[in-house]
Amino acid sequence: MSISKKIFTYSKKLANLILSGKNSFEIELPEIFDKTDKDYIVSNLTETSKINKRKEKHDAIDKIEGWNHIEKNIFRTKRRSLYWKYAVAASIAVVTSFSIFYFNKKSNPTSVVVKNNILIGTDKATLTLEDGTTIALTKGKSFTSKNVNSNGEKLIYKNITLNHQEEVKYNYLTIPRGGQFFIQLSDSTKVWLNSESQLKYPSQFISGETRTITLNYGEAYFEVSPSKAHNGDAFKVISSSQEVNVLGTQFNIKSYKDENFVLTTLVEGKVAVNIGNKDNQYLEPNQQTVFNKISKEISVENVDVTLETSWRKGLFRFKNKPLKDIMVVLSRWYNIDFSFQNKDLEAIKFTGTLNKKQQLESILSNIKNTGFINDYKISTDTIDIK
Amino acid sequence: MEKKKKYKLSLKEYKKLFESHYASLCVFSNTFIKDSEISKDIVQEIFIKIWENKISFNSKKTVKSFLFTAVRNKALDYLKSSIHKKTESHAFESIINLETESVFLREVVITETSIIIEHAINTLPEKCAEIIKLSIKEYSNAAIAESLSISINTVKAQKKIAYKRLRPVLKEYFILIISIFD
Repeated sequence: MSISKKIFTYSKKLANLILSGKNSFEIELPEIFDKTDKDYIVSNLTETSKINKRKEKHDAIDKIEGWNHIEKNIFRTKRRSLYWKYAVAASIAVVTSFSIFYFNKKSNPTSVVVKNNILIGTDKATLTLEDGTTIALTKGKSFTSKNVNSNGEKLIYKNITLNHQEEVKYNYLTIPRGGQFFIQLSDSTKVWLNSESQLKYPSQFISGETRTITLNYGEAYFEVSPSKAHNGDAFKVISSSQEVNVLGTQFNIKSYKDENFVLTTLVEGKVAVNIGNKDNQYLEPNQQTVFNKISKEISVENVDVTLETSWRKGLFRFKNKPLKDIMVVLSRWYNIDFSFQNKDLEAIKFTGTLNKKQQLESILSNIKNTGFINDYKISTDTIDIK
Repeated sequence: MEKKKKYKLSLKEYKKLFESHYASLCVFSNTFIKDSEISKDIVQEIFIKIWENKISFNSKKTVKSFLFTAVRNKALDYLKSSIHKKTESHAFESIINLETESVFLREVVITETSIIIEHAINTLPEKCAEIIKLSIKEYSNAAIAESLSISINTVKAQKKIAYKRLRPVLKEYFILIISIFD
């Protein structure tokens, strides 16, 4: 075995041991190293200050700038150079674009953009009060009443509870396509609502009764204020014909009208999902129930919760998602419609992370640059994928 | 190495190599040269050289070894010339020390191992990743629990998840490396 091969094999083994938390490094040391070298290596890989220092240096390196310089020198013809600029910039800028894994097809001329009035989604919602009054909430517009106030970007209810004699009053918060909103309920439960969603909730909860709210449709992430802070009052979310009984903390429900499945994903704590006659389905963190609204069947799957809940943090993360599913997500956020000229394209799977602050066009151009789709056409509010 | 042109990286492989190694090689170069700008220039120059194929390889495997060796040689060349110009105050002994094979190879091990670890951690869910990062820094379960204000049982459970997830990832990673460099 050559020395360089030994060095690389040793690195792999070392990485494995360190990752699995084994502190005794009993692997064969390449003969070039002595005990001092080994100590030096291990301390560099496990000591906090050294790790942090490395990371700091590493993070300070601008990959895109580096690539641009290299690219300028290695691709002399303009056509190729442009093509590569997109492809590589796309895959390096991890947060802002798709990771592109395929370059084998030739890029086509510029796509047709007829009239692009497609806007990036923003914080906006409509609040419907118990008397039917509606209030539009958008950035820069504040709203205050006796029990709730909003700065146009979030809605915060005051911490008041009702006693048994009082009547519960329901408010609705409706998020349009192209919108998202944050609301804090009167029990301090936090809810992040995604585009095209509606939440029904009491403006105040009754002390001593289960706190019940309804996700009429859409997607929401819940961070539930624990029962022990409310004299043991349980918390329940109804959605479609499914009930989620909350035994603690954080989860996501996705229940769109035009989708056949209700997905409930647990991030932290414990919840019980009930679909009527059946027994409770308990979820552990990193698990998801998939409830089929048509067959009324429910199953549990292990999932990556960071993928399922990335929307709340301003990202859309996809792992092996068919292009059609990705377009559905994009259509809600950018308030657009889409169609596929070639139905085969719907099933092509992509992996990547998109920033919700990105222009739709730059996303589409990145997808196009993979070579899998030939072209796209943006007209008013419809995307046609060819 | 200078015999005949036997192997050339594909664009895809070249780009992958850049993505996985560029930043780490800059840090590696920086362990020889204090100036981080010059460290970067050296790495870029080597990458350009590889693509222009002024360098020919016996096999894919030698590409990575070449990268490390070339960056180090270039860095040492720079140090020597800067001593002549007296623009830097590196003593000759320290250069001789830097020139030893074991000093070079242990930096290679640190760089390579960090790349693998980072890649593996990036595939983990947030919470798992946080825990594994602390575990690498030799925090005990109790210390991890305390610093993240979660229970020891959660730490153990998350670690279990992490190890289960890492197994195929590391395997996949090795295959990836092999497919590029073997």
